[in-house]
Amino acid sequence: MHAEHIKHDFEPKIVAFVCTWCTYAGADLAGTSRMQYPSNVRVLKFPCTGRIDPVFILRAFQKGADGVLVSGCHPGDCHYMAGNFHARRRFAAFRALLSFVGVDLNRLQFSWVSAAEGGKWVDVVTELTERVRTMGPMPEFKELEHEEQWSTFAGASVDKSTVLNSPELKEAYDSIG
Amino acid sequence: MNAKANKNQVTSIEPAYYQAITEAIRKEAVQILKDETVVGVVGYLPGRRKGTASPALVTTVEEAEKLIFSPACVNNLSVYLTKAKKGVLKQGKVGIVAKGCDMRALAGLMTESQLQREDLFIIGVVCPGVYGFGVERTGTLTEANIARKCRECTVHMPEGSDVAAGTHTELADLTPEEAEEMARIEAMPQAERWAFWKEHFSRCIRCMACRQVCPFCYCEQCLCDKNRPQAVESSPRPAGNMAWHLVRAMHLAGRCGGCAECERVCPMDIPLNLLNRRMAQELKELYDFEAGLTPVEKGPLNEYKENDDQSFIK
Ligand code: SF4
Ligand code: SF4
Ligand code: SF4
Ligand code: SF4
Repeated sequence: MHAEHIKHDFEPKIVAFVCTWCTYAGADLAGTSRMQYPSNVRVLKFPCTGRIDPVFILRAFQKGADGVLVSGCHPGDCHYMAGNFHARRRFAAFRALLSFVGVDLNRLQFSWVSAAEGGKWVDVVTELTERVRTMGPMPEFKELEHEEQWSTFAGASVDKSTVLNSPELKEAYDSIG
Repeated sequence: MNAKANKNQVTSIEPAYYQAITEAIRKEAVQILKDETVVGVVGYLPGRRKGTASPALVTTVEEAEKLIFSPACVNNLSVYLTKAKKGVLKQGKVGIVAKGCDMRALAGLMTESQLQREDLFIIGVVCPGVYGFGVERTGTLTEANIARKCRECTVHMPEGSDVAAGTHTELADLTPEEAEEMARIEAMPQAERWAFWKEHFSRCIRCMACRQVCPFCYCEQCLCDKNRPQAVESSPRPAGNMAWHLVRAMHLAGRCGGCAECERVCPMDIPLNLLNRRMAQELKELYDFEAGLTPVEKGPLNEYKENDDQSFIK
């Protein structure tokens, strides 16, 4: 039962932060059951969704992720009793912040996937991958990584595009990396 | 200034009003130092330049007689209890002069077990407002020179303080500039919001003044100073700046008392309080939490309910 391999123009990078007790086991089950899901997803295992700091998500975006998934145990099933309840509030707040600064929340997915839900894991990952694929690469954070802020006077009427991008500076900067 | 007990709306607040508060603070500070209720009082002394004030810890009656309150008393003094003057609390009870917004910080710090109510003698100020940044300091407070945060203040009365200095007086008909600005940003298309904040954050020089002045940034080691592993790039470059600002806003969410000190000290004029306010608004909508004048059991991100909203989770 081999799904036909379709070639796409764009293969999004998806980073999945998962808890070891439920979602990781669920993803494992999907694997041992030989279910097919996009290989775009890179799984990172944590003890608990409560351990997943919003800064990890930022870092993933900065380092090239086009989409991020955070997944853990269903409410009430947390191995540490309440880690996922705390995570739920924290990520609700974080979403509001990201949206306020202009990040498209369609690139960030949260889910509860239990150790028995191999099928749900496949669905969640496939849906996120395909959604991000249609959205295209996420340039915002990556661009920041490659930008330098040469000092200009605050509010001065300097044309920043020339200040930042004089050929000499660009060449010097490129030669560093 | 009349001394009516109910609130009183005026178009300008004259130096005499602040003078009356000054007298009341002095009287109280002298009293509690004399009868040894406290070992010291954190308050404001006149600054070296005219029209300024500087925070000070006074320990003698002579010094206490020099304490002032004026529109230049912008600082949130609660930061002196968790950071700079942390040691003073160990020596006994401390008096502190607190405006309403400063009292929210004190309450938050009590919630977080950083302070104990019984260790403090709070001299509350019935505060009509303080100067904004870069305004003319004429001694009289008007719509033209009042701080942005004071335009929407809901805590003019420092309820829960040990004593309160002043009578309730406030400026009439202030436009809520911050709320309007927030609504303006919310209404922008997403790409424009990103461009707006990117421009602001790109100016940040990572001086960390906003962190140093914040009463809630009392971490012994800030996440943003850690370099093994490094979570947030520490040099002032666009990528690290964006991360720093998101981290800061997240760390203060549900804790921030809205004193706007972070924004006041920012040398690059980054509107940090808009981020604080946006987070506060979200936590109000989601969990009905508002930073108040009295401590609570737990902050909104330190507790949970089993039926919290999870419509965003699959
Ligand atoms: S926000 Fe309110 S309490 Fe704080 S300084 Fe302004 S008027 Fe005073
Ligand atoms: S005070 Fe302003 S410039 Fe300094 S680190 Fe904070 S936001 Fe950046
Ligand atoms: S930014 Fe965060 S880690 Fe740093 S001092 Fe403030 S609360 Fe602590
Ligand atoms: S984040 Fe800013 S407004 Fe909030 S408590 Fe800290 S200094 Fe005050």
